[in-house]
Amino acid sequence: MALAFKKVTVVVSEQMTVEDAEVLLDWLIKHPRGRINLSACTHLHAANLQVLMAARPRISAWPRHAPLAAWIKAALTP
Amino acid sequence: MNPLLDQFITEGRDILQTIGERLLQLEDTPDDSALMGELFRLVHTLKGNSGLFDLPEMTRVLHAAEDLMDAVRDGRRPFDRPVADRLLEAMDFVLALIDEIGDSAESAPPNTARHANDALELANALRSLLAAAQATTPTATETEPAPSPTPAAIPFESLPSRIQQELAQRLEAGEPLCWLTYEPEEECFFKGEDPFHQVLQLGEPYWRRVSSREDWAPLDELDAYRCILRFEAILNTPAEALHEHFRYIPEQVQIVPLQPPAPSIAPAPSSEPPPDAETAWSFNVVLEAQREILGLTDNPPWLSGRLRAVATTLEAAFASIGQAVDRDALQQALHSADASQSSQPLLHWLDEQQRLGDTQLPAAAPPPTTATAARPEAPEAEEPIKFGRRAEDRLAGHTLKVDQVKIDRLMNLIGEMVVTKNALPYLANRAEEVFGTRELAREIKAQYGIINRIAEEMQDAIMQIRMMPVSFVLQRFPRLVRDTARRLGKEVRLVMEGESTEADKNIIEALADPLVHIVRNSLDHGLESPAERRASGKPSEGRLTISARQESDRVVIEISDDGRGIDPERIRRKAYERGLIGEPELERLTDQEAINLVFAAGFSTAEQVSDLSGRGVGMDVVRNAIACVNGTVELHSQLGQGTRLQLSLPLSMAVTNVMIIESAGQRFGVPMDTVAETVRVARNDIRTIKRRLTTVLRGRLVPLVTLNDLLGLTIEQAPNGDDEFAVLVVRIGPDPLGIIVDDCRETIDIILKPLTGILAGLGGYAGSALLGDGSVLLVLNPRELL
Repeated sequence: MALAFKKVTVVVSEQMTVEDAEVLLDWLIKHPRGRINLSACTHLHAANLQVLMAARPRISAWPRHAPLAAWIKAALTP
Repeated sequence: MNPLLDQFITEGRDILQTIGERLLQLEDTPDDSALMGELFRLVHTLKGNSGLFDLPEMTRVLHAAEDLMDAVRDGRRPFDRPVADRLLEAMDFVLALIDEIGDSAESAPPNTARHANDALELANALRSLLAAAQATTPTATETEPAPSPTPAAIPFESLPSRIQQELAQRLEAGEPLCWLTYEPEEECFFKGEDPFHQVLQLGEPYWRRVSSREDWAPLDELDAYRCILRFEAILNTPAEALHEHFRYIPEQVQIVPLQPPAPSIAPAPSSEPPPDAETAWSFNVVLEAQREILGLTDNPPWLSGRLRAVATTLEAAFASIGQAVDRDALQQALHSADASQSSQPLLHWLDEQQRLGDTQLPAAAPPPTTATAARPEAPEAEEPIKFGRRAEDRLAGHTLKVDQVKIDRLMNLIGEMVVTKNALPYLANRAEEVFGTRELAREIKAQYGIINRIAEEMQDAIMQIRMMPVSFVLQRFPRLVRDTARRLGKEVRLVMEGESTEADKNIIEALADPLVHIVRNSLDHGLESPAERRASGKPSEGRLTISARQESDRVVIEISDDGRGIDPERIRRKAYERGLIGEPELERLTDQEAINLVFAAGFSTAEQVSDLSGRGVGMDVVRNAIACVNGTVELHSQLGQGTRLQLSLPLSMAVTNVMIIESAGQRFGVPMDTVAETVRVARNDIRTIKRRLTTVLRGRLVPLVTLNDLLGLTIEQAPNGDDEFAVLVVRIGPDPLGIIVDDCRETIDIILKPLTGILAGLGGYAGSALLGDGSVLLVLNPRELL
């Protein structure tokens, strides 16, 4: 499991798979003000990207992996 | 080149040729549904085969061809010239690809990505025929997707001005910038694709944007697995590389090489630059769409809203090409349309504008040629796409594919040659004995020697043609073993040796099914589960070895595993339970004999019938199948150590070594592989035990039968001058048996021909052969006789 759920933050480690998208979506529905910590994330499946783009949660930390961060920033900051 | 690919290429060329022929035949008889069915199957086969390799271009075209043919087969589209033309073109394209692959020396198919665009164009052309067919059916028109993938004009304006300027500079500096738009299809997640991963692999783009194709649904209604993403980027990558990157999904990307923006090179002198071809084309599309909307005859409550929308669109459209329109006239038309609840006034206005516009606009400007500018509309009018050479422009490769019947005929001819050649020694003898010319006899014999050598070489050469490597049947096993082992939860390592051993085609083919049975049996019964193996001190991974080798004139195939082996006790018990053996045999059978009981019909030790084995067919089927080609099966097993099955097969079935025997004044042949030995037995040594003739041979009791009895003749067997009988000891089953004949003669090689026609029903004979002196020899089949 790449997701660790804290009180108001999800911490993503390494890879977010396609299955994680549903879990993430559920959590974001239950926690509308939830935050996401992506610092350890190395890749996330496009389905997750969709969820993030639709939900626009606050990103408490961008991925350390620079190319990934650049794309996610481009997707979340129009 | 790997054999599978080799086979694919040979077969592919073949199939393509047949497809070509069938297509031409179909043009003459378009209603022949059987022909159509065959054609469909051929294309389907080829498509399936191409899927084995990394050849997306070929598969794409074939897939489209298959769809089109399916429609034709179901009568959704008539078979006519355009269909035939398109299909022939598609097949030429596939042939060109196959040739290219065949020419490359590498073992893997070469990369054919540079044909991706051609493939896409062809596939679209094929599909457009299909779409045209559907459009003629009234129900299909509604659902048909809008057939205008308008090449999105590059929205330079939407870029920040800083980027625009930099972009222009870079372009002028000659950087090969490309604009990429990637819209993954909605179901792509279910196909295991990860569009984001694809995009990340592209490298650092110069500019990027990620957006959605439609507005995001509220979170609780959001379907995370319906992909509506759109990726856009400007990359410093050549267009070919991008095409290569997206070669599996060319229909989902648009790749536009960027040119330095025209205005920066030659600033337009007027404030209204003439519309370029691309804008003009988009403009025409927009206009057509509006016309269509106005042409709708329904009268919905929102009609006035619709009219207003059309009016606004038209105004904006005309403004975009810099054509001044009379706003008041448009507003007036809109008003009157609104009042009369009809779209006529607006249509009139539009007609008028276009009449005016025709003089100013480059009317019906050709569509801009972007990478994906595929226009499904009116493809018939377009120049057909040509793909290099046609099929006949090129000679086939070095492989010759010959009908097996022709080879068989050659075999028969050389057989007759061998027989005829054998007549020469008779002739030499006659020359010497009857005509008394020893000189001539010697010359005939010398000539015979030469003919003999050539004939033997020729026979050998023809045999070689029919030879195939064992790998032909073995190549399926890695997959079969892997899948089966996985299903059974076992760990198995398959080791194959001597795959290049060759044998006659018929033998190899006969081997296929028995081998599958044996391997399945080994996997199911022989090898234990990893836990069981560890418990008995073996490595958890089982080992299954299939080895093939040649031993003189036979091929020996060994299948061995290091599994639990066969327990003779258990076999005895099972065989007794199933009534295969009686109580006395239960005690008497040796372990080896007990193990051989697995070959008995109806024997199975599996407690439960699984889908793999255990139905009580299997080993007896194996033995019969092997016996059919004169092969033998030997089974050795050590409890706890493993099982070894040895199949021994003749290299070739063409020549049979037989022993000639005499009985009742006739000559017969007996296949040498059944003959164990020949002995002379004196009349005194033959005893009658319980009305059966027996004799003692090297301390062993051998039952005897007379051949005349077996053949239903009432004549006594004739002994030789010393009152001894000639006995042929044959080994059928475990025990030897003596057949009393009148005399045993020489052994010869013959070409065995099965009995055909009226004689086919005769039991007891393996077939017939022609002898050197022209007489016919009947070859007995001792197995059937007894």
